[in-house]
Amino acid sequence: MARSQWLWRIGFLALPLTLYLVIVIAPLAYSFFFSLTDWNGFNPEYNFVGLGNFERIFSDPLFGNAIKNTVIWIAVALTVPVLGGLGLALILHEGMRGANVYKSLFYLPICLSLAVIGQIWIWIYQPRWGLLNLTLNGIGLEDLSRAWLADPGTALPSVILAWVWQQLGLGMVIFLAGLTAVPTELTDAAQIDGANYWQTLRHVVVPLLQPSTVVVVALAVINSLKSFDIVYIMTGGGPFHSSDTLAMFMYHESFKKYYMGYGSAISVVLFIIAVTVIAFYFRQIRALEHLYD
Amino acid sequence: MTDLSLYRYSQEEWDRLAAREATRRRVLQVVLYLLLTVLVILYSMPSIGVLITSFKSNAEISRGGLWSAPAQLNFANYQEAWVNGNVRTYALNSFLVTIPATVLSIALGVLLGYVFSQLPFRGSEALFILIVSGMFFPPQIVLVPLFRLFNTVGLYNTLWPMIIVHVAFGLPICTLITRNFFATVPSALREAAIIDGANEGQILVKVMLPISLPALAVLATLQFTWIWNDFLWPLIFTQSDNSRTIMVGLISLKGQYSVAWGVQGAMSVIASIPTLFIFIFFQRYFISGLTLGAVKG
Repeated sequence: MARSQWLWRIGFLALPLTLYLVIVIAPLAYSFFFSLTDWNGFNPEYNFVGLGNFERIFSDPLFGNAIKNTVIWIAVALTVPVLGGLGLALILHEGMRGANVYKSLFYLPICLSLAVIGQIWIWIYQPRWGLLNLTLNGIGLEDLSRAWLADPGTALPSVILAWVWQQLGLGMVIFLAGLTAVPTELTDAAQIDGANYWQTLRHVVVPLLQPSTVVVVALAVINSLKSFDIVYIMTGGGPFHSSDTLAMFMYHESFKKYYMGYGSAISVVLFIIAVTVIAFYFRQIRALEHLYD
Repeated sequence: MTDLSLYRYSQEEWDRLAAREATRRRVLQVVLYLLLTVLVILYSMPSIGVLITSFKSNAEISRGGLWSAPAQLNFANYQEAWVNGNVRTYALNSFLVTIPATVLSIALGVLLGYVFSQLPFRGSEALFILIVSGMFFPPQIVLVPLFRLFNTVGLYNTLWPMIIVHVAFGLPICTLITRNFFATVPSALREAAIIDGANEGQILVKVMLPISLPALAVLATLQFTWIWNDFLWPLIFTQSDNSRTIMVGLISLKGQYSVAWGVQGAMSVIASIPTLFIFIFFQRYFISGLTLGAVKG
């Protein structure tokens, strides 16, 4: 019995684990390896440069710039989709008439590709025909209208806004699911005890939503670290690297300039940041599980 | 009623207060409703803009701009995109990648989920966590090595790298959701099957899978949507039009149709139809997938 179980285990695990090892784990290790070389992407040969790539990273102003932009990105991701998603979820959870239609319209962007979303928002920012400039001109704010994506001062916020447009629905959906798990007895009890809406929200609902909050926060950070598609499509990281994120910068160095060794070193830094977030996420989840045991 | 102060009100006054409170609530509700409606209209503008532009001719756009309603439904842009714009090839490639990758990632995820829930062994929990954490890895971490790998084995610029990579990167979410679903199945079912002489393979296929259809539907909608919408892998692994999927094709066609806004709009709409279909008809599954394993997107 025990032996045949092992045969089944091995039979079931063999293919998926091999695939995972070859496509995810081994390449991960290889990235660490390449980060110590000067491989250019074409030559079969490469030289070891030790920690040279990492030394270069920390003196490269473009890397510092990409880090700064990624931090800004994360900061926005942690505020607008998280708080906005919570707000929308709270309103729509009241179950007003037509709430389902509203919900659908808010999470529609989740099923659109970032390639399409980038495309749509390029039109919004288009200097002559774009909805944004047309609106600004229409209400007499011509001075504010500009080439949003071509202006180094506005390129990054413009791209982030397009991304937030998609992520807001995601936050809302997760908080809505969390709200269905908040027992109405507790909120009713709080109100009978004389708590007003905000007090109930702050002391009863939000603490009970903590599992959803952990998920939304972790997602916001991870998705910010992954932000590449929409940057590539809308600005390519420009103008003058003003909208470069870490992921975009890594792609640019590796596949445009063919500094694959240097690119790998950037990806190693990205990985270390991601692992920190993953560790935080699992710790929080574990703590919550103990809480509800 | 322990609050004695209430007794100061007569019934009439009390009714009036209650009515005032009800009115206050209703006004608040209407205000909130209006606010939300304005917000949702603003929120839908981008999607609506693309849709209406896709039906307008260039002449109409240059007359009325991008954001005015089309005079009539004009499908010429769709025809142009589909026939001359290569969108047909791109869409076909997207299906050829998305369908096998969706099916295979779920099949392999089911195998892992079964072992982790029904046949746990020493260290299986750690292995499970290792696999699930893959969900969080930014793909940039494996970009260079995978580019080299598929170049070396001669699969660069074919559909294979995308299928293989999507299956591997789909394993975390598929394993997570199937394991959690299998774990909720009462162990009595499995024990009864063992007494009837069923082996693990038979239990999986005849007992577990038939009751897991909702979980499989959740995964199918999620995986189809992510893989269809993916942009990074085809960008890295393909070079020529014959092997491009629709999202990358969309961007490469942008140059060709840089001033043909209507055609660009039509291409965006065509590229979104399959996932919109899922959104409309399988929304329940898609949403529960997002909230169950809410870690992608």
